[in-house]
Amino acid sequence: MDYQVEVNGLTKAFANKSALKGVDYAIKKGEIFGLLGPSGSGKTTMVKILTAQLQHTSGAVQVFGNDVSKLKDPAQMKRIGILTDNSGLYDRLTVYDNLELFCKLYDVSERRIDEVLEEVNLLQDKKTIVKQLSKGMKQRVTLARAILHKPELLFLDEPTSALDPTNKGQIHAGLRKLNKEGTTIFLSTHDMQEAEELCNRVAFLHNGSIVELDTPQQLRIKHGDSTIKLLLKNGSTVSVKQDMSGANAISQYITNGELLSVHSNEPNLGDIFVKLTGRELQ
Amino acid sequence: MTFSIKRVRAIVTKDWKDLLKNSYVLITIVLPLAFAAMLSRMAPDDPSLLTMPINIALAMTGAFVQASIMAEEKEKNTLRVLLLSPASTLEIMAGKSFLSAFITLAVVAGSIFISGIQIPGLPYFSIMLLLSLVIFLSFGTIIGLVSRTVMETSVVGLPVLIIFTYGSMLASMFDNPTMSAIVSYLPTESFSAALASLGQNGGFAEIKWDLLNMLLWAIVSLIAAVFVYGKRRFDK
Repeated sequence: MDYQVEVNGLTKAFANKSALKGVDYAIKKGEIFGLLGPSGSGKTTMVKILTAQLQHTSGAVQVFGNDVSKLKDPAQMKRIGILTDNSGLYDRLTVYDNLELFCKLYDVSERRIDEVLEEVNLLQDKKTIVKQLSKGMKQRVTLARAILHKPELLFLDEPTSALDPTNKGQIHAGLRKLNKEGTTIFLSTHDMQEAEELCNRVAFLHNGSIVELDTPQQLRIKHGDSTIKLLLKNGSTVSVKQDMSGANAISQYITNGELLSVHSNEPNLGDIFVKLTGRELQ
Repeated sequence: MTFSIKRVRAIVTKDWKDLLKNSYVLITIVLPLAFAAMLSRMAPDDPSLLTMPINIALAMTGAFVQASIMAEEKEKNTLRVLLLSPASTLEIMAGKSFLSAFITLAVVAGSIFISGIQIPGLPYFSIMLLLSLVIFLSFGTIIGLVSRTVMETSVVGLPVLIIFTYGSMLASMFDNPTMSAIVSYLPTESFSAALASLGQNGGFAEIKWDLLNMLLWAIVSLIAAVFVYGKRRFDK
């Protein structure tokens, strides 16, 4: 199996506090992998370790098949893109000037600037001074910067936290396109809807440990209660099992003209996280 | 360790565009020139005051411009972004120091021009200036990395400005032999002493110990800057 990231027995401690406690997982090439957890669960620490900004305490971390420390090599650094939780933009410069610097650092043609600005819906603002942009617009500029060089592996730490639904949808479409072109994406988020929409697999991080890891569909099946909720015309709801008895009950309600609608009782990722950890994802 | 001129040039170009819109840095550049004009009017015939505007230019522009550039990169999280790009530590340091060095040289030249005093022994003076640049840019880098914000660089850097620029004045005020002995080893004092010797037709033999002292300061301050950079380059 061709893995872009492999993490085995990873621990990280700050003074007396353990931030990560023996974490294991691997990310396949071409996958969108989501790391879900509430604030303080260790997501940002994980991103910093995977991008060689922070040294781990013990365990093995490999990126592109090499120890993560090899990422400090500029040739390896060109293979990854990073969007962190804080913008890191030059406020006094224009959007174009900000991206132009990184075109030169990554040896990318400046023609690419218009392409990425189009993808994040900021082309009309390319001559705007960054200081004058809203928080959401700044976040879109940082995303444009992260994908400027079409990285093989893209780390996104809360990429759409400051965006409205329209821009969020546009960013998601851009990320899916990038992924189709071959970019593996590591997405750290507490937005379970975002994870459901984008991720092939998700891992739940709670108190520095991964408590569940699978595809969103498998998690819903695994943690669902195999029942169907029926809404009746008299306003009441009835739950029936997904078996012959349930099928007969639904048939009876339809025959009697009592059935208004049928709903799946499948939990969403947020429900599953609460069930496993007792905590909300927010 | 890789080194790409193209990447260094990209950082310098960005810094230049940014600098033209940075009022704090622009004021820091103008102040030493104003001091030079003021000092030249105060004692136009006193060559011993020649080094004062040069030392002020080196300390204020060399150290403070570099400090504010580094501190702002750290404060705005842009240093982290640069470090996560293909630019190596050497390229970032070179790119960030080039513009400060260029501006400092221009301000030193401007200060000398405003002071209206001829520089004796230009080759030696150039070596002394180069060593001073290394020392003050290293101090600036350290101040910038230690400070949490651009404004904090003024507080952290003020002792450097006072000690290195007015060290001999402070020593004479306190009339303390130990203090005077310590102050005599400051690179700015060596700079002044060497320049005075050159002014009296002195040569290498007269200034060699001053040059050696400045060289040691340059080496130690550069090592300290690299060490602090390694420890403090990433924002929290």
